[in-house]
Amino acid sequence: MPVLQADKVTETLRRGGSARVDADVPARFAPGDRVVTRNINPLGHTRLPRYARGRQGVIDRDHGVFIFPDTHANTGDPKPQHCYSVLFTARELWGADASPRDKIYIDLWDDHLDPADG
Amino acid sequence: MTGHDHQHDSSLSPTELRVKALESLLTEKGLVDPAALDILIETYENKVGPRNGARVVARAWTDPDYKKRLLEDGSSAIAELGYTGRQGEDMVVLENTPSVHNLVVCTLCSCYPWPVLGLPPVWYKAAPYRSRAVIDPRGVMAEFGLVLDDDVEVRVWDSTAELRYLVLPERPAGTDGMSEEALAELVTRDSMIGTGLALQPK
Amino acid sequence: MNGAHDMGGMHGLGPIDPEENEPVFHAEWERRAFAITLAMGAHGAWNLDMSRLAREKSDPAVYLGTSYYEHWLHGLEQLLIEHGFVTAEEIESREQEILGGAK
Repeated sequence: MPVLQADKVTETLRRGGSARVDADVPARFAPGDRVVTRNINPLGHTRLPRYARGRQGVIDRDHGVFIFPDTHANTGDPKPQHCYSVLFTARELWGADASPRDKIYIDLWDDHLDPADG
Repeated sequence: MTGHDHQHDSSLSPTELRVKALESLLTEKGLVDPAALDILIETYENKVGPRNGARVVARAWTDPDYKKRLLEDGSSAIAELGYTGRQGEDMVVLENTPSVHNLVVCTLCSCYPWPVLGLPPVWYKAAPYRSRAVIDPRGVMAEFGLVLDDDVEVRVWDSTAELRYLVLPERPAGTDGMSEEALAELVTRDSMIGTGLALQPK
Repeated sequence: MNGAHDMGGMHGLGPIDPEENEPVFHAEWERRAFAITLAMGAHGAWNLDMSRLAREKSDPAVYLGTSYYEHWLHGLEQLLIEHGFVTAEEIESREQEILGGAK
């Protein structure tokens, strides 16, 4: 792509660049589904934080289909898939001393998640 | 600065020197347009900032239909006011209520809704906030002087994807009849991150 | 990668210490580093996720001891070299020129 010229800056910033992908990729989960995050420790980029690996949560909302950064950062492969807000209780992530009321919502993709049993 | 007019300067820090060297090289190679750099800086230093988000919030406080659209499709409703683009392409608005308080963080880097809040403050990008917002949100908010009752549910949103989150703070009591413009003055940056509340009217 | 950037839940990193009436930038080099990063990103040689990865690859001790725009600068420099826009030798020699050394 060409050099960003002064007269193109404002338009370029206003347009931005959505990571949303207009592709017909089926969702593996629906809001309300119970999920467990994978226990992965890749050497490359991942959006699944350490503090939320191997934890049980609930799909809160489906944001739609997005580029998957875990592959996009490492090889450029966008591997489009659904991205969800996943709800975790503070106690699931931090143990019995955490507030019984508080929740943490983390945006995760299909490749970070498996169905939780039961 | 170009490759031919270097200032000889040994008082530069290593970081300042590195930035000067890179800008000089990239300009000389024709890879960056220095005038474009100036416009990028001017845009985020003086044009885009939390006053944009404050207008969104004030509109939502005064126009129930707008608020409904904002909560259903944040990106489109925010675009109605002209705020679009980089780092705000896919917006989600989170409503605070008497029983729910939302707090936004990016534990992995510094994701922040630029078109409505501008560039993030240093503390938002720094380790103390990023590390503790998810494990001790009430302690973090207390450092900002915000102490919530135990029966309020705290929802922390870790911006790990390309969604960008804006908190819709509660409208303060005693603001009936205030204009949208006057209401916007009560909306602080921190109230739209969740580390504060909207100001009380004077 | 299990780097220093992935800090959710860590303890002991100090008070949050918000600055009142904080300016958008705290130094001229921050302005330039910010703008150069955006302008070079527009070339499309790398995507935003690659920029993030480049910042995450910092030495953990360095990452925790440096500021946000220093992270950006480090990531930018790695990508510029990796993609052949500049070489480490060119950067070094340009720095010497700026400092008034041999041209």
